[in-house]
Amino acid sequence: MRILLIEDDETTAGYVAKGLREEGHVVDHANNGRDGMFLAMNEPFDVIVTDRMLPGPDGLSIIRAIRLAGIATPVLMLTALGEVEKRVEGLEAGADDYLGKPFAFAELRARIRALARRPSGPPAEQSVLSLGDLRMDLLQRTAARGARKLDLLPTEWRLLEFLMRHPGEVITRTMLLEKVWDFSFDPTTNVVDVHVSRLRRKLDLPGEPPMIRTVRGAGYALSAPGTEG
Amino acid sequence: MRHLSSFALRAATASAAVMLVLSLLGSYWGWWRAEAALRQQLDLAIAAEAEGFVREFEEAGIRGLALSVEAYARRRGPLFVALLAPDGRVIAGRLPQPPPPLRGFANLPGTGERPSLRVLGGSLPGGGTLLVAADLTPVDQAATALAWTPPIAGGAAALLALLLGFVAAGRMERRLASASDAARDVMDGDLMRRLPLSGRDDEFDRLTETFNALLGRIETLMIAQRQVTDDIAHDLRSPLSRLRQLLEGALAGPRDPAADAEVLERAMTELDAVLASFSALLRIARAESGVLRQGFLPVDLSALVETSAEIYAPVAEEAGKALRTEIAPGIALRGDAALLRQAVVNLIENAVHHGGSQVVLRLRPGPVIEVEDDGPGIPAGEREAAMRRFHRLDRSRSTPGTGLGLALVAAAARAHDGALTLEDGAGGKGFRARLTLTPDARMT
Repeated sequence: MRILLIEDDETTAGYVAKGLREEGHVVDHANNGRDGMFLAMNEPFDVIVTDRMLPGPDGLSIIRAIRLAGIATPVLMLTALGEVEKRVEGLEAGADDYLGKPFAFAELRARIRALARRPSGPPAEQSVLSLGDLRMDLLQRTAARGARKLDLLPTEWRLLEFLMRHPGEVITRTMLLEKVWDFSFDPTTNVVDVHVSRLRRKLDLPGEPPMIRTVRGAGYALSAPGTEG
Repeated sequence: MRHLSSFALRAATASAAVMLVLSLLGSYWGWWRAEAALRQQLDLAIAAEAEGFVREFEEAGIRGLALSVEAYARRRGPLFVALLAPDGRVIAGRLPQPPPPLRGFANLPGTGERPSLRVLGGSLPGGGTLLVAADLTPVDQAATALAWTPPIAGGAAALLALLLGFVAAGRMERRLASASDAARDVMDGDLMRRLPLSGRDDEFDRLTETFNALLGRIETLMIAQRQVTDDIAHDLRSPLSRLRQLLEGALAGPRDPAADAEVLERAMTELDAVLASFSALLRIARAESGVLRQGFLPVDLSALVETSAEIYAPVAEEAGKALRTEIAPGIALRGDAALLRQAVVNLIENAVHHGGSQVVLRLRPGPVIEVEDDGPGIPAGEREAAMRRFHRLDRSRSTPGTGLGLALVAAAARAHDGALTLEDGAGGKGFRARLTLTPDARMT
């Protein structure tokens, strides 16, 4: 993937760029808003990662400008600690995701992947999601693995729907908290793990090839048995 | 002199100038009208007298007229009458000036001893002229006297306006000076300082009240800010010191990949805890600063509490507890959904961590959110402190959390004009946290 990183803090930029290059991505780095906007407007990228506060035009202005120019490249916005409520502002400006600093590199990686795999444009209105032998009928609100009907609670339903919309991707606990439960904070209980393990007990019966995989130090991934994302 | 640049003085001067011009114009117009009226009165008196003599003439002929003119002149009436022959000779009566043979009204200017006259002349049938005249001196004197009033009245009005202006400027200056002194005191750090009210409930008092409210707001913000700084200084110092010691110890020791990895992992854990505290502190500060209020939106509280219960029921179950709900439907308010959600979650998690085997989550109209558990609770004497930042009961040191959970709930309550109360549960057993919010008038 070709990734544009707009970040004025050299240490963070160096660390992020190094990590992404080790993953096999091509990283272009701009250390100010003006260069970042120029690159974003003129070069094709798969994902743009931009800091919110930048010398020159800030992250919000860059996103507004490229969206105005009709560029639909997914944008991940980084922001300083404790500015969660500004998340809405960033998303309204046209950012696709938002990550507060400091972040674990695994978190950033998972979010970049999720963004890159997302089809551009609004998601198609699907009424049935399927992955391997797992099927979710969103209109009838029924889910089944093969012939076995799954009896899911509302929170488990939302969790499974989100995972099915991101097949094979590593989804971090924070992403689940934010996107499935709308929690913008870290709870002190292992609420994500509890729900995932309950879902797993209903989805992956003993003897069946497991679909939910725990990725150590990162999160979870749902994939069709045998594909491993 | 500060007065010279005063707004009030400029206003007073301008109004005095306007007063002067207006009163001059007004009183000159009055003078002009009064003088015209006087002259008209005189003309009317002359005409009335002349008419009397004409009637005399019609009844008694020229001879009879001559007699009555002569009689009038001898009586020394207020007017002068003279009857002239066709050749201009005076037949009867007299005028203080040589009589001109004229028709209609005319003014005769005075010369020396002779007064100026207003004269009405008319020819009589068969020749001869009747002249009736009045002395203009009293009218001229009155007009002259009246002519002085405009400048005097105008000058007095302008002087008065200027004087009142000075007084008003002085008063305004004093009140504004006390306001700006107070503002300067606040800038110099005296955050408790407020502006004095005059008690007259005028526009100045209203401005002062607004200004005092502003100062109160600033004080709250400054105190909150100071509080955050103090909290960070006091409470983040110890974990950061621990972290430093840990790393220093590892650095001084021999290199051992296994031990180093363990140290790094511990360091990461410490650091994550510091970051969590830091983030929670910033959230509390933001909630307390009141800035969230601008972004308040309608929140379906019933749905929010219901969803939180759904999410936490399995968590409570895993912890060997039962989460029961009593949620009234259709309760809404204007607020910050994210903050309210975190407050509810913090209360539930608190009960899950520290409660007994039963947790009840209630939402009642009010709106009031209650989380009750049958655990040991918090001793009455420690409840106040439990809502403060970084307070952790000794027995809860081993459980996860930043020690900011209840402080955040309290801050969220205050941000929504509400309050957090900690009390004994039903029948004096267990523990109940009650979050009382304020219904919004705009939401019904």
